[in-house]
Amino acid sequence: MSSKRISKELRDIERDPPTSCSAGPVGDDLYHWQASIMGPPDSPYAGGVFFLSIHFPTDYPFKPPKIAFTTKIYHPNINANGNICLDILKDQWSPALTLSKVLLSICSLLTDANPDDPLVPEIAHIYKTDRPKYEATAREWTKKYAV
Amino acid sequence: MAKIDSSGSTMPSNFIDDLNYEKEDSGTCDSHNTSSFTLTDNIQHRRTSLVSQESEFEIEDFTYSDDDFEYDDDDGEAYDSMLTKPVKHSNKKELSEGAVPNLSYEILTTQDIFENMLARVDHLQPIFNMPREDILLLMQHYDWNEERLLENWTERMEELLVEIGVNQADAKPTDIKVTEDIDEKEISEIKKRGITFKEHFNCIICCEEKDTKTFSLECGHEYCIDCYRHYIEDKLHSGNVITCMDCSLALKNIDIDSIMGHNSSKKLMTSSIKSFVQKHNKNYKWCPYADCKCIVHLRDTSSLAEYTRLHYSPFVQCDAGHRFCFNCGFETHAPADCNVTSAWVKKARKESENLNWVMSHTKECPKCEVNIEKDGGCNHMKCSSCKYEFCWICEGDWAPHGKAFYQCTLYKNDENSKKTQSEELSKIMKKYTFYYRVFNEHEISAKLDWKLGQTIGSKVRALQEKMDISWIEGQFLTDSIKILNEGRTALKWSFPVAFYSDASHNLTKIFVDNQSLLSKAVEDLSELLQIKDPEEIMKNKLEFYNKSGYVENRMYALMECGRDLLCKGICKPKD
Repeated sequence: MSSKRISKELRDIERDPPTSCSAGPVGDDLYHWQASIMGPPDSPYAGGVFFLSIHFPTDYPFKPPKIAFTTKIYHPNINANGNICLDILKDQWSPALTLSKVLLSICSLLTDANPDDPLVPEIAHIYKTDRPKYEATAREWTKKYAV
Repeated sequence: MAKIDSSGSTMPSNFIDDLNYEKEDSGTCDSHNTSSFTLTDNIQHRRTSLVSQESEFEIEDFTYSDDDFEYDDDDGEAYDSMLTKPVKHSNKKELSEGAVPNLSYEILTTQDIFENMLARVDHLQPIFNMPREDILLLMQHYDWNEERLLENWTERMEELLVEIGVNQADAKPTDIKVTEDIDEKEISEIKKRGITFKEHFNCIICCEEKDTKTFSLECGHEYCIDCYRHYIEDKLHSGNVITCMDCSLALKNIDIDSIMGHNSSKKLMTSSIKSFVQKHNKNYKWCPYADCKCIVHLRDTSSLAEYTRLHYSPFVQCDAGHRFCFNCGFETHAPADCNVTSAWVKKARKESENLNWVMSHTKECPKCEVNIEKDGGCNHMKCSSCKYEFCWICEGDWAPHGKAFYQCTLYKNDENSKKTQSEELSKIMKKYTFYYRVFNEHEISAKLDWKLGQTIGSKVRALQEKMDISWIEGQFLTDSIKILNEGRTALKWSFPVAFYSDASHNLTKIFVDNQSLLSKAVEDLSELLQIKDPEEIMKNKLEFYNKSGYVENRMYALMECGRDLLCKGICKPKD
């Protein structure tokens, strides 16, 4: 049942790709995808392309997909392993959500970080106390890892 | 409403202060070995001091009545007092006379709590003027915290209904506007809550097209019944309100039952109540025994501090007869208090690797070295091979055990030689090993006694059949095994107290003597309970009464003595 749904999502993404995102299976495995997100222009990540790996569980869409950044990124809600702290990937997941909606949410997370619920407290601290420093570092990382 | 009275022990706290603690006074309420004790004066004294103690506490107003308490410190506790169910238990003698305030508690199940919540919902109905199902949703969302719900309700009624999913954000439930961006197909019909049958339905969750039943709420988000079932099944254990997969409109219990079949909403309610209990773990405690579903609800936790101060433990008993400490969740651990217990358990966990050998269930016969497994509670062993009688604990000859004090439970403190630090350490280790071993032996014995207890029913039945006595008359056997279990538990937990006590202090010596007395009493009773022949049992009926009464007395004396050690700071748990 999950394969039907995943194929449908793949067709939809190919037909009508979400802005500044792309996604598709790695090789033949329908359950393992790769996605890329363009850094939003109004963010310090602008100009970078960030890759993510996506694993669909077998009981998808009743369980959320597992998504992680494979490109290093300096962000209060994304840690060194690329894990993302996002509610809809955890307890707020709903079967009615789709991968493209999730990717869009990740895009908006890049524009508006959530420093009050951080995965990396050090970055969140800088984000809250010294915003220019945070932006400079994020730009530096983007240049170094994502361009 | 009845109250459970489970304050301290036979003696008030000050009682021991009044006594001149010479060694011959150690058995304060000994009824058997009168030879070495001067009894009558002590008992007289005890009674008068008891009376004064009780009246003192009445003046200090330590007796709480059920209607008295109103909490305002912690949210959610105020309405706790509204949950009522008659209390069935009355605690035992040891906990009935009081130096500490009464402990009033009730035994509930999740079902009881839920029914109480339903009663609250009925009570709220006139205020909210909504269907019961909707109020239930509100209560569930607010973790059954009525006060917080009411507060928010008066402040922002409309928002709340949307937030919780009773109403839709953009429409009132009575007139449903179908917004234009919904698929064209769906505009033709106004959505109703419930299950319908559709041909060639294309479910966007599983992406399969089939003839199927579908479900939707007023929001019009319609999915096939299989997807809904899968979705709900996953959520039933969370205890949270289940919403539509695409918006925040909530599924009510009727919806859940209509999708999932009968009584599924009950599962959800149970998990919701469970999380309620978990969140209010100051007042509510699950019975720690495996598979026991009882919840103990203590309304007034303020008295617990008094218990701790006086080194009593707030033991409670659930409907299944499991007794445990409300404070630390361990089994009844008197004479040890919670601190001693946790220190001991922690230490045991740490050291257990070194002491694994102790755990082995077999021992060699000290004489003929044949391997012996202990299969009964009594520590009086008789080697089946060489007929040598010995004590399981010290592996010494049994002969002196029967008459004299139980020497094997005494730790022999050797203070002659001057020691280096490492010697000191190994001595501490040795001391610990010794206490750990006896503790463990009694634990094993207690387990075997418990097994024996399981067979007591058939023994009583055998008595009824063979000796033609009534069931009620045969209960002395059941009572005896109960007392044996309690005695052994008390004895077991007295070893940690002894371990952490200053061995040179006179009171510790008295405590250890008391231990020996209880040890002997317990072994005697245990031996008596080994008798299998019904005729023999009836012949010894008086003995059963005497021995178990004696065990009880010794047990309370030991508990009080241990508490005294704790109160006076002679026993100090350390890691």
